[in-house]
This record gives sequence, structure tokens and C-alpha cells, in this order.
Amino acid sequence: MTVLHPEGGPVVYDAATLPRDDNVNPYAFSVQLDGQWFLQKGKMIAYYGQIDFQGIGHGPLDRLIAANFHSPMHAADWVVAQGRGMMLLADRAYDINSYDLDDGNLTIRSGNLLAFQPGLTLKQSIIPGFLTLLGTGKFVAASNGAVHFVEPPIRVDPEALVGWADCPSPCHHYDHAYMRGVLGGIRRLTGIGGASGEEHQYEFTGAGQVLIQSTEQVLGAVPTGAGPGAAAVGAGPQ
Amino acid sequence: MPFTRINSKMVEAPVTPGQRMFSQRGAMLAYRGRVTFTPSITGGQGGVMSMIGRRVANEATPLMVVEGEGSVMFGHGGHHIHTVDLAGETLYVEADRLLAFDGSLRQGTMFMGSQGGVMGVLRGQVTGQGLFTTTLQGKGSVAVMAHGGVFELPVTPARPVHVDPQAYVAHRGELRNKLVTAIGWREMVGRGSGEAFQLELSGQGTVYVQASEERL
Repeated sequence: MTVLHPEGGPVVYDAATLPRDDNVNPYAFSVQLDGQWFLQKGKMIAYYGQIDFQGIGHGPLDRLIAANFHSPMHAADWVVAQGRGMMLLADRAYDINSYDLDDGNLTIRSGNLLAFQPGLTLKQSIIPGFLTLLGTGKFVAASNGAVHFVEPPIRVDPEALVGWADCPSPCHHYDHAYMRGVLGGIRRLTGIGGASGEEHQYEFTGAGQVLIQSTEQVLGAVPTGAGPGAAAVGAGPQ
Repeated sequence: MPFTRINSKMVEAPVTPGQRMFSQRGAMLAYRGRVTFTPSITGGQGGVMSMIGRRVANEATPLMVVEGEGSVMFGHGGHHIHTVDLAGETLYVEADRLLAFDGSLRQGTMFMGSQGGVMGVLRGQVTGQGLFTTTLQGKGSVAVMAHGGVFELPVTPARPVHVDPQAYVAHRGELRNKLVTAIGWREMVGRGSGEAFQLELSGQGTVYVQASEERL
């Protein structure tokens, strides 16, 4: 039962009163596990019940992984949680939110994705550093500051982009308008006057939703976009 | 143009032709419409002499001029954002805390020593403001960054406010500030309370305080 502190202090949860597939607070999410969930390594902070964590690529879960996990590059960063119980997820005190996909497709920065249900299939996006989720189910994502949904047409700073759903893949937009004219020419030749820092955006068009976060500090991401053979070349610090 | 708050770390502002805005470099998150971002060579308003003034005062922050037609979303570094609407008063704030502000505001630099002489200079050192601080005056809006949420404390002549210098963000209105020291023998032997310096603000106005002792 939920115990309220007499002076209105912290709420105390136990296995029966933890939220089911919902946020405990803005920074922690509680999963009611009965079966399997995929989660990124190190994002589980606590659990009740019988849950075991199997690394991807070895173990008895080959069939599940063959069906739902199509990113050999990220295999080392993900585990499957299997069993029954309540599992709490968090990531460096970033804001955590869950999203439901209904036969949809959503692309998200790989560092922002925490966990997803096996109803969804994970694939690498052709945009480096992003993962695509296809199918029906729930996933949990972290963002630095709350996520804001906007509709195209819009241009987004690459580092503020969390992901996008349903709309066509973005293209690059470069703006060097301030390099024109006499002053711009001097600026280009000498570097005096500096850069605006906003020359490059991702441009979204078409129908869909774009998810942006309120910061330009990017969550740690693994570069993707290459096959497993090229992974060793492109892989950055993990 | 007024800022619309999207969440605690993001604001949106409309941009209309003929209305310039200044924003810190790299603070744009997304925009709609035809909006251009031009680096401001002089780092703000007022021509070359003002630029030199800011450089000397170490209050020169890379700023962009935002022009065009559309709307822009601003945010930076995961810092909390507080918007201040000015109706003729002066806002005193560190230049690196400025996320964006209306081009209609007049930007200036103030020497800390002009408020309280040597003590003003010392106060600037303790608060991390340095010798100078930036002033914005006029009618318009300012978006200020802070570490942790910001709250406003009203100051009236009868009720001065004491603020931890590290939690101080900005102030506006006719405020006198004074550094209060409470150094005793305990501080000398390293057993201090950790609250040896406080900023006392008195007069008529508002002081903005962040819920953190960490600077940007």
C-alpha cells in the first residue's frame, strides 16, 4: 500500500503500489514486467520479483532477438529482461517518458532510447546515430528536459533532435546567407565576425511529428549507419 | 516579442519583419518560416565603441541577430530558462546568462565599482560577476538561463533580501546591493558555516534566484 508521509514527505512505494507501466516521477519509470522487455545496459536501477537479464547475442533468446533486434552494432549495449516483477528504469536524472506506438514507425537517437517491448522491432536508421522502431508496443525514452512535439515543416538543430515519427527522413539544410555581400565576403575570407553557429539544421517536411529536446547537449550515442563489418571503424567511445 | 514558455527548459518567440532579436550563439533549437541567424560582429548593440567596451569589460558573449518571419525555439545546455518582461526598468544580468532578448532593449555595461566602490568590486568577485555586468533597459522581453529553477523575490524598502552570491541570477529595479560578510574566528580555523558571504539587496525591485549554487 502507498504510505504517505505524515508531513507530506516522500511517497513510499512497494511492489504492489508502484505505478504499472507509468512514471514514478519525471525521472524514473516503472515497468510491470511479465515476459520480456529489451533495455539498454545500465538503465535498470531497481526491481522487485524474479527478473533475469540476458545479454544479446548469447543465451537462450535467439529466436526473440532474431525477430525483434536487427542492429548488430548495438547488440553489445542491450540486454533482455525476462521474468515477472516491477522494474525501475532511469538515466542520469534525465526526463523519462513512455510512448505508445500503434503499428507505427518512429526513429529516435540511439542514446535516448532506454527500453522497448518486444511487440516493437528495432532497426538501425540510415541516419547515423539513430534507431528506428517499427510495430506496436510501448517504449521508454530519456531526454534532457521534457520532449516537445512539433509538426513539419520545421528545421531543427541536429543536437536538439530526439527523433521523428511518420514523416519522411530529414534532409540537411545549410544557411550561409550571412556570408553574402561585402561584409559576408570579408567574414568568409578573414573569419572576422565569427559564425552564427546555426548554419546547419535538419529540415523536416511532410506529415508527421518531430520530437525535440530543450538542450543541445546530446545524450551519449553510438554511431550507426554502417554494417557490422564497418562497425569497428566507425565506433566511437561507448 | 514576448517569449512563450514551452517547458522549463525551452521558450518560443515569434519573429516578425523589422523586429530584430538577439540570441546567444548556439541557442536555437528549431525554427519555422524564413528566419536568418547572423553573427553579430559587435556582440550586440551600439556600434564599435560599445563592442570595445564589452570586450574590455569581459561581457562580450557571442550573439546572433535573429531576423525574418516565423518563430524560433530557444534553449541551451539543459539550463532552466526564466523570462523577464521589462516595461522601462533595467535588468542587471551577466552576459553569459542571456539566452535571447528583444532588439528593442538597450544593452549596456555597468562597472560594479559604481555601486559601492571597492566593496562593489569585491562583490563582483564573490558573485562571479567580475568587474562588470550587463544591463538591459527598455520595453521588451529577456530570456535568462539558470542552473535549476528560478524564482523571483520581491524587494521593498522595508524588506531587504539576503541571497547566496552563488544562487544570485539577476535583479531589476532600483536596488542597492551590498556584500555582507559574517567572517568570524570559526571561518579562520576552517569550521565556518559555509555562508560567510551574503548579498544584501535593498530598495525597490525584484531579485531572481536560482535553486542551485552551481554557476553556469
